[in-house]
Amino acid sequence: MLTALWMQCGACGGDTMSLLGMESPHLPALLDELQVELLWHPSLSNGSPAYYQNLISDLRRGRRPLDLLLVEGFVSTGPEGSGAFDTFKGEAKADILTELAARAGVVLAVGTCASFGGIGKLSEIDAVGLQFHHQQPGGLLGRQFRSTRGWPVINIPGCPVHPTVLKDVLYAACEETAPPLNAFQAPEDWFGVLVHQGCTRNEYHEYRVEDDDFGGPGCMFFHLGCRGPLTYSPCNKILWNNRNSKTNAGTPCFGCTHPDFPQEHPFFHTPSIIDIPLELPDGVDRAHYLAYKGMAAAAAPERLVKRTSKV
Amino acid sequence: MAQTISMPLNRVEGDLEVKVTVHKGIVTEAQVIGTMFRGVETMLTGRGALDGLVITPRVCGICSISHLLAAAMALENMAGSSVSVNSRLVRNLALSTEKLQSDLRHLFLMFTADLAKKKYQDQALYPEAAQRYQPYRGSAVVATILATRKLPQIIAILGGQWPHSAFIVPGGVTSRPTQADLRQCGMLLGEFRRWYEQSILGCSIEEVMAIGTCDQFNDWLEKKEAHYNSELGFFLRCGRAFGLDSLGAGPDAYLTAPDRIRYQKPETAGGGFLQDGVLTPFDQQAIIEQVKHARYHERICTGHPLVAETHPVEQPADSKYSWCKAPRYAGSPAETGPLAEALIEGDSLCTDLVASQGASALTRELARLLRPARILLNMEKWLERIDTSKTFYRPTALPDDGTGVGLIQAPRGMLGHWVQLSGGYIDHYQIITPTTWNASPRDDRDVPGPIEQALLGTPVENPEDPVEVGHVVRSFDPCMVCSVHAVSKNGLSLGRLRIGT
Repeated sequence: MLTALWMQCGACGGDTMSLLGMESPHLPALLDELQVELLWHPSLSNGSPAYYQNLISDLRRGRRPLDLLLVEGFVSTGPEGSGAFDTFKGEAKADILTELAARAGVVLAVGTCASFGGIGKLSEIDAVGLQFHHQQPGGLLGRQFRSTRGWPVINIPGCPVHPTVLKDVLYAACEETAPPLNAFQAPEDWFGVLVHQGCTRNEYHEYRVEDDDFGGPGCMFFHLGCRGPLTYSPCNKILWNNRNSKTNAGTPCFGCTHPDFPQEHPFFHTPSIIDIPLELPDGVDRAHYLAYKGMAAAAAPERLVKRTSKV
Repeated sequence: MAQTISMPLNRVEGDLEVKVTVHKGIVTEAQVIGTMFRGVETMLTGRGALDGLVITPRVCGICSISHLLAAAMALENMAGSSVSVNSRLVRNLALSTEKLQSDLRHLFLMFTADLAKKKYQDQALYPEAAQRYQPYRGSAVVATILATRKLPQIIAILGGQWPHSAFIVPGGVTSRPTQADLRQCGMLLGEFRRWYEQSILGCSIEEVMAIGTCDQFNDWLEKKEAHYNSELGFFLRCGRAFGLDSLGAGPDAYLTAPDRIRYQKPETAGGGFLQDGVLTPFDQQAIIEQVKHARYHERICTGHPLVAETHPVEQPADSKYSWCKAPRYAGSPAETGPLAEALIEGDSLCTDLVASQGASALTRELARLLRPARILLNMEKWLERIDTSKTFYRPTALPDDGTGVGLIQAPRGMLGHWVQLSGGYIDHYQIITPTTWNASPRDDRDVPGPIEQALLGTPVENPEDPVEVGHVVRSFDPCMVCSVHAVSKNGLSLGRLRIGT
């Protein structure tokens, strides 16, 4: 039997909704199948306050093994590194987490906040992720951190995390070898594809048929702030709730898996220069892009120009 | 001798601490303390006009559609624009789906878990309660996880994903659902309704809606085995046997915001305030935030949400015990949520339950368990009314400067967003969530908030694990992640914080 602990820090509960949204297997079946005992989840467990306090104390001192530590939400380290903005029984949660992580077999940062700091950046409470502070390695645990199994923190970004990705990483974490990770320590298998890949508006993008207001079928990259071509996430590969994605539904991608989420400039707006986005699709050269987009627009078929092709 | 118990409370969304004074086994004083903040309103200051649509849903992963809708409506209110029938119907469907999953998840994942505790092991119904309600394993728990996991597909079809979509924008919705999409939604709704009728009610929605009095409810319970053994039937029996009907009376003042889910009285669709049996129409101007017992400056932080600021005092006195402000309606604390909705809309069963036994943890939960019945009937009608040949979005220009308010009935009750734009950017943003009403601290006249009032008189058998206190607090379905105001860096460094779990 493996033991698991779910800790919430500066969280909105969205990642817990993803935990409840997993299927095949769903959460109760997954716990059975992987032989995981979820010692505590703040939204689901019914132990008494005293039970929880003793549990944390036992895990910190190594009196009970902790195989999986799952963290939801950003970690507050302020003011002045004390962590006093977010405490449990008068102790900084940041300190408790650091001790628990050192004892844990595997540490999973569930969601963008726990991975990189996420939404916490907008609040002046010195929020960090477990092993990153946005793009900067380090975070709460430091660049050198390894869990007892010798793994770095596995980041599972997303605001919220995708239920299928969470489920898969839980499975992988129960195996002997770590899954391949990208530069931001997120599983390459899931975060090696762009949101843009699989977007139903792709053809509109291809021929530069761009929308400048909501409600149309066109591409949203040039004017509506869509970050699909810049954001690595499987949203359009495996879809959400088995059904759809924001971009398919006419809502721009906000880049919520990116270490820098949320962006500084206004959402729903693309900063551009001579009508071409300042930030181009990942790795693309501006001069070539300009030439390609000019020709693409000229080659656009009527059904796209008239926006009759459905998305 | 009086004993003070500080109790961090889990299975509420977010962090909450309750401090109760117990004298001779009875709660004689209670403080509900919001202990955690993430600073959402400050986060928005200086950001783009539409950024509330992306940021505020991330205030709460359970109520993301509610925040999104309130944020969009505040901007529409500012622009003086209206939306098409289609987009209103789609919004209603999304919000209602969020309510359905929230009501059921609260009941069987968060509330009833306490009924499976050892405290009740000598009760005749305990073995069955444990079998149904045990975390992760209980039959009601697993069934709820399965049904509520699937239901949000409706929001995904209409708006991309759940939670944290942003498909509701000033002017309508970004999506253009096809007839095929709507049929898919209908199938999902039908599947959920069948589960709700078979497992939760043990009868049809129409049958349960015909129950108008306590006596009829008792007759219904005994009439058929399917009723008696349904989740509703068992919860009713268990709740009575375990004494939930004598816990948590509340302030007898109820508040709702404008709501689209109309009950018997169309005149209360605009929201209402029900105090000591007198119903008056809702008027958002009557809302005042007070901070005598919250850690903010009284002079500038008191008042209507459009003017009241949120600045912490540097060295709060002990009497300033919460990061929640105290919202008051016409000077009074008010309970909001499914029970308030049912009473203000004149639901006859809930009205009779409260008239004969008073409000209690049990009536609050029954109102929540029965609400899906009305919601489902409405959703079926809305789905039929959508005309895919007509528009789902009208271009809407926002002024650079202006103020607006968006008020809705979220799963937990009244939710308000107040926004002020200046030069095209957000200058001021205030959110009052349902839990800010229910979990509010004392006000300027030292009158306790609704949960604080409901806790008075609660018996506490075991101070080590005051399960009864948990029942009362959780019956308000508190969601602390979004109820605590933003504070700035200076204030934070001086506040003493206690976080629950």
